[in-house]
Amino acid sequence: MRRPARRLPPSTAALLVGALAVGLSLPPMRSLIEQSMVWHMVIQMPLLVLSGWLSMGTVSGPSGMDRWAYWNRYGLSGFIAALIVMAYWMLPLTIDRAVVLPTADAMKVASLWFAGALLRHSFQRAPAVLQMFFMGTAVPMATWLGIHFASTDLRLCNAYSLQSQMQAGWGLAALAATSGTGWLLGLVRSAPRSKPLRNA
Amino acid sequence: MNARSSQPAEPATAGLLRTFSASLAALVAGLVLMLWTTEGGSAFTTETARRAAVERAPQPLPDLSVVGADGEVTTLGRLFASGGRVWIVDFVYTRCQTVCSALGSIYQQLQQRILDGDLKGRVGLLSISFDPGRDDAAALRGYAARMRMDVDVWRIVTLTSAADRRRLLDAFGIMVVPAPLGEFEHNAALHIVDGQGQLVHIVDYDSPAQALALARVLAP
Repeated sequence: MRRPARRLPPSTAALLVGALAVGLSLPPMRSLIEQSMVWHMVIQMPLLVLSGWLSMGTVSGPSGMDRWAYWNRYGLSGFIAALIVMAYWMLPLTIDRAVVLPTADAMKVASLWFAGALLRHSFQRAPAVLQMFFMGTAVPMATWLGIHFASTDLRLCNAYSLQSQMQAGWGLAALAATSGTGWLLGLVRSAPRSKPLRNA
Repeated sequence: MNARSSQPAEPATAGLLRTFSASLAALVAGLVLMLWTTEGGSAFTTETARRAAVERAPQPLPDLSVVGADGEVTTLGRLFASGGRVWIVDFVYTRCQTVCSALGSIYQQLQQRILDGDLKGRVGLLSISFDPGRDDAAALRGYAARMRMDVDVWRIVTLTSAADRRRLLDAFGIMVVPAPLGEFEHNAALHIVDGQGQLVHIVDYDSPAQALALARVLAP
């Protein structure tokens, strides 16, 4: 295993990504997510999930989140909750609300961060089949929605121009495809090699 | 612990009670949240939610000061009350090259139908410019001439004070977004305002016949 010589400590990385993601909801950076659906949906929302994921990396361990493990065996409940949160913030209606209502935006920031934390908790204890349940639901959902955003000539969000919606649609589809591919590559790398199949 | 593990046929789901309960709770909470947000799965966009809300309960409109193409200053309330008419309202800005030109030609068709039928004096058309900064009375006159507006049927106004813009757009549920080339994009629709000055229906701008039918029901 190759390891870079200098690497950010996990807590610093989590803080940096978290500050960037939350900062996008506050002035002056807020104008980016108000004007561009790409900044909102393809950059800020995934960054929020990522910062939750990184934060969970700093607390896991026997003394940390393991005591919650009985509530999340095989990662099942975490996957379900994260799927719901992510699907919720993909609705055009809720995207608009997050732009217009500060309370809705605060809910978005908190829930997507939490979804990221749950996802790490879940991936750590999920067998490949359950990971597949999550990826097999989330990736097609985001891909389909992205292609729909990109190809419809209806403006789905009142807060964004049609052009911005199309860019965000392609971005979302690309992000979903990249995540799915990355996950599959990870499975291939970690799979045991040349072991005979028992029940083939 | 020992007693349990010594039992021969322990189900594969043993020890999962808390996980299953949490999953069930997340699913139920998620379903309730989704149904609540989308009004029972009927509204996935702000636009459908806005139209459904207006159908459920007519929306009162603020009595803002406006100025017409003739330079005459009045208020929205007085305008809506004048002549006991039902109004079909749309939102424009006079430089618009995109959806407003479609809206303009739809309003021309509506004007022709009102003039030809029995709705003259009972249904009025009102275009409101949401760009009072650029649309002065001269710009409105230019638009009125371009569109060949008949002042007895179709009027255009804008706000006298740009500070009222937010209130106007919020009352109707219009969101205006800057678009490339100095244009705006906004949720364009036909808004039907009854004789009491309340917003009662919102229909697609490409369904003028439906708007006229709804206005006819409300017209005196």
